[in-house]
Amino acid sequence: MLTSGPTFRLPRTSGFFFNIQFGVVEPGQHALLLRWEVMEMVQRIKRILVANRGVPAVRIMHTCIDRKISTVAVYSTPDRLAHHVTTADFAVHIGEGPPGVSYLNMDKIIDAAKKSNADAIHPGWGFLAENAEFARRVQDAGLIWIGPSPEVISLLGDKIQAKAVVEKAGVPTIPGIINVKSAQDVIRWMKEENIEYPIMVKASAGGGGKGMVKVEKDSELPQALARVRSEAKKSFGDDKVLVEKYIERGRHIEVQVVADNHGNVVHLCERECTIQRRNQKIIEEAPSPSLTPELREEMCRKAVALMKAIGYTNAGTVEFLFDSATRKYYFLEVNARLQVEHGITELITGLDIVGIMIDVAEGRKLPFTQKDIHPNRWALEVRLNAEDPRTFNPSFGWLTRLAEPHGPSVRISSGVYEGAEIPPYYDSLLMLIMAAGADRADAIRVMDRSLSRNLRVEGVKTLAPLLLSIIRHPLFIKGEFSTRFIEENMADLISSFVEKDDEDEALKVAKYVAEISALGPQDWM
Amino acid sequence: MSDVLFVTPGMSPREIVDRVRALPGVCFTSTGMRDAGQSDYKNRLRYYDLATLAPYYNRMGLFSAECHGGARWHVGIMNRRESPFDEILFLREKMPNVLLQTLVRETNLWGYRPYPKNVIEHVVRNVDIDVWRCFSFLNDIRNMRVVAEVVMKRDRLFSPAISFTQADWADNKYYMSVVKDIVALCGGTEEIILTIKDMAGVGSPARIGSLVDAIKQAYPDMVIQYHRHATDGLALPALLAAARAGAKILDVEEDSLTRFYGQAPMLAVQAYLEESGIPVHLNRREAEAAVQKVREWINQYHWAESPFKGSDHNVLRHKMPGGAFPSSFEQAEKGGFLHLMPAILKVMSLYNQIIKYFDVTPGSQITWTTCSGIVNRYAKARGEAGVKHLTSLLERFVIAKNQDFNAMDENEQQELLKLFRNAPGDFKNLLLGQYGKLPMGWPDEWVYKSAFGREWQKAMANREEESPLDLLPDEDLEAERKKLAEELGREPNESEFILYLMHPKDALDYLKFKERFGEAPYVLPTNVWREGLKKTGDKVEFEINGKPFCIELVSIGAEHEGIIHVIMRVNNKMRVYTVHTPRVKKTEVRMAKAENEVGSPINGTLWRLGNPQRGAIKPGDIVHKGEEIANIEAMKMETAVLAPYDAQVVEVSVKLNEVVKEGQLLFVLQPSEQ
Repeated sequence: MLTSGPTFRLPRTSGFFFNIQFGVVEPGQHALLLRWEVMEMVQRIKRILVANRGVPAVRIMHTCIDRKISTVAVYSTPDRLAHHVTTADFAVHIGEGPPGVSYLNMDKIIDAAKKSNADAIHPGWGFLAENAEFARRVQDAGLIWIGPSPEVISLLGDKIQAKAVVEKAGVPTIPGIINVKSAQDVIRWMKEENIEYPIMVKASAGGGGKGMVKVEKDSELPQALARVRSEAKKSFGDDKVLVEKYIERGRHIEVQVVADNHGNVVHLCERECTIQRRNQKIIEEAPSPSLTPELREEMCRKAVALMKAIGYTNAGTVEFLFDSATRKYYFLEVNARLQVEHGITELITGLDIVGIMIDVAEGRKLPFTQKDIHPNRWALEVRLNAEDPRTFNPSFGWLTRLAEPHGPSVRISSGVYEGAEIPPYYDSLLMLIMAAGADRADAIRVMDRSLSRNLRVEGVKTLAPLLLSIIRHPLFIKGEFSTRFIEENMADLISSFVEKDDEDEALKVAKYVAEISALGPQDWM
Repeated sequence: MSDVLFVTPGMSPREIVDRVRALPGVCFTSTGMRDAGQSDYKNRLRYYDLATLAPYYNRMGLFSAECHGGARWHVGIMNRRESPFDEILFLREKMPNVLLQTLVRETNLWGYRPYPKNVIEHVVRNVDIDVWRCFSFLNDIRNMRVVAEVVMKRDRLFSPAISFTQADWADNKYYMSVVKDIVALCGGTEEIILTIKDMAGVGSPARIGSLVDAIKQAYPDMVIQYHRHATDGLALPALLAAARAGAKILDVEEDSLTRFYGQAPMLAVQAYLEESGIPVHLNRREAEAAVQKVREWINQYHWAESPFKGSDHNVLRHKMPGGAFPSSFEQAEKGGFLHLMPAILKVMSLYNQIIKYFDVTPGSQITWTTCSGIVNRYAKARGEAGVKHLTSLLERFVIAKNQDFNAMDENEQQELLKLFRNAPGDFKNLLLGQYGKLPMGWPDEWVYKSAFGREWQKAMANREEESPLDLLPDEDLEAERKKLAEELGREPNESEFILYLMHPKDALDYLKFKERFGEAPYVLPTNVWREGLKKTGDKVEFEINGKPFCIELVSIGAEHEGIIHVIMRVNNKMRVYTVHTPRVKKTEVRMAKAENEVGSPINGTLWRLGNPQRGAIKPGDIVHKGEEIANIEAMKMETAVLAPYDAQVVEVSVKLNEVVKEGQLLFVLQPSEQ
């Protein structure tokens, strides 16, 4: 019987390889078999340009380093000393601070890839990750695009189009009306479908919590439509608007899917991403504490069916809104990219999703089938944003002190280092902190240790105090929460770090000594 | 050893009192940890150093250690950045055998204004102190009621104090009436220790012997403690006279701490009394060791000593209490009027014959701000000649004319009628009875005319006969707690809440400091605390939870654009600290000029906008004539700013907690049309 052994790739022609696999006979057979297996045509990637910065860029580079793929960083002027730049093998300057002239500048990035002899581009998340035009231009430039095809991205980018495909695939969607022209349309639809307020007005091209307004009554409707339309026009250049029923106290549950170019689609189970502030996730976990095995099975199956129907390739996520009151789930959207919270799926499955993305982009088949996927741990992730934990205002400046959590069962995915500057132009994510355990309580304990005793950040404010009080909140521990958990419990949650360690205390004393040494005796003394 | 420790924490008040009575001679309270430092070192002696005395105190056989209260409390949070709560906690651990003693100012507790009843109850209930010495600067015993009740209910020792001064009006008959009130309040003499608080150090040996004797005649069982400052130079004979007359406990301090205005030196007092045939309960060896210990660190406090050194027998006239000496001189020095001190002391000696009360907090502050204000005003207007004119006017009135207002000529009368016009708000509150009854009754009519101008009759009619305890409405403690929680961004603990109740603004400053600098006030030796590390290689070592830490200076950079970089090795790890140098802000101060502009009456801090009844005031609000629209605090005293007429507020020209100059524009008003 053969088990898989090391894979050697022999060169065929420029950039193409045959895959040859050596099989090893199980002990007892006393023979060594050598089997030549001609695998699919594979286009091997040697150098990846990561079109991103901070946490996603560093995360992707780590896998590249594992696989001996060299990396190219792109950077804006304020990022010249950033962590992702020093982590990469090569770096290319692509412009000034504002994203429009740097990380969103397609010409410069493609130019950088060519100049640096990269053969592939990984977009990470955010910036150009779900930009069909960019994907297309990368491919047109003869580079490998590590992600779903531009056609799929473009299809999913339009909520109205996507909804139609989804419904056809038999996946439940939130009752809604597309192509809304007037308030009258909406009111008529509500009457016909027997829908009650609240409802949600959304930009068709929107995402990430932008271009969304909740409406409670008829009188608010015209204004909401006008607002979303103008926001949509400004942000996405498309003023199409759709309206959906608003699910009160819903939960966000998403299914991670990977697919190759050979028609294989496998889900890696779900993640719960319900804890959000201002419609942006800050705590995620896998698996979801709110699903029964049957429901989990059904949702994952639907997600795979949907991705198959779309013809999706590479890694992506199907997001659902789950109504815990009725136990119903509705399709929300497909995220056609690597997601921030992919790490917790990696922790529970033992897989490397970025590695799979590279494999798929190289043209390989998925190395596993659905029955090989057996998550056996619980994982939790918090997003350590540089934000005021009370107001969520971003906090800029230098990280004068940074101690990253460590100890058993902790995974850190950081975009910064002690001394780094946090510039005001970008996403406020400093670091992802993940904790794993045999069960949920275990994972929470590890996270508690990481946040309360290990993590130290000075120089900028972070969400850490809020994150800690969330994971200590009885309702969170019970798993009873909705997307409105933070707004509903804010007063309860606001608390500061209670634990302090002796090093903290000594550093406070040192700060005092430094100040007095520099300034001498003070008036207040 | 065990008989040396004759009283310990946990004993009931009655047992403690009995044990003191049973002593053959006298015993001591050491003020080394509180009043000694207050009187000669502006309360700057730090816990770091005082704690070195604790092991000796633990074996010395003291009656108690006065280590808490008085101004040490407030100066602790403001200047030493030490919490009086932490101090109790640490001392309990280091000297578990010793009764910890505080000093409270009846309704003012450890602050400077009367607190409502429920605040007093809450605070007294939550502070872990064994001996509660409580005084009233008016000897208005009614004001002690709540403190006495709570302390006695907690089974802690209540030690009511009579404020003592030497004056023709303060005779034994007067004091006996005060003692009578105390005995009535405390339900007898069994569970209290009566203190005679000679805060200025003015009791002559004969006078004090006579008073103690009078009390013992009337109440043979009364245990009497004599608290005496040394200002006049006669402390030792006075202590002997008190002991001979039957006082059982005397307040003393380490000989090596003794300067001029604190208590008498303990080793000397012991020797002097024993030579005179009075046994003194004291483990001399431990006391000597404590005296020696003080010498190891006291030299680091030169900077905190009073600029006026030496005994002052004239204290009998000006009556400035020992505890106020260094801080008053400090204020005079900072305010640039140190040269006016002799005149101020002179004016004080005349003032205290016009308005009779006891010069101890808050009375001493009222005296000080009122008198220094008057002298400064004359000095500013007419220079040295003006000051001379003022003292001779007052001398003529008080001494030559025996305070007969009508005997003064027309011009002199007019001048007297302006004497108190700019007096601080708390002086006016005193005249209105807001602190309680004055010991010799209300001052003469002209004083009201002088302080209140045209409103004088109304002021007199509004004089309060009741104790502030019965006047002030309860405070909403939960609302206050919430306010603090909002300021801190978290729930405060009980200690933090009490700091805030006493001194809201200073407590917040302190808590912010503590948040930034943590244990620095407790772990750093005094030289480093005050001056930092000076040259490369200078080190400071300390422990936190038994773990050693070491900070070593590597270098201090030159100032560049308001920043100095300090490089230090903290436990071997090199760290760079960015220190911002305080910039002199060149903001132009707008002065009140026009008719409709309200200026600040004094230099001080605008700590309240509006008033408690209506809350803050903002542009557009309507204010009414005589309504308080702001309050300025200076030198612990409050001065109200009143609306001069009915008006609408056009502009609030200052921010809350801003330091304002005299005459600085506070409000622009639009007078209401009649």
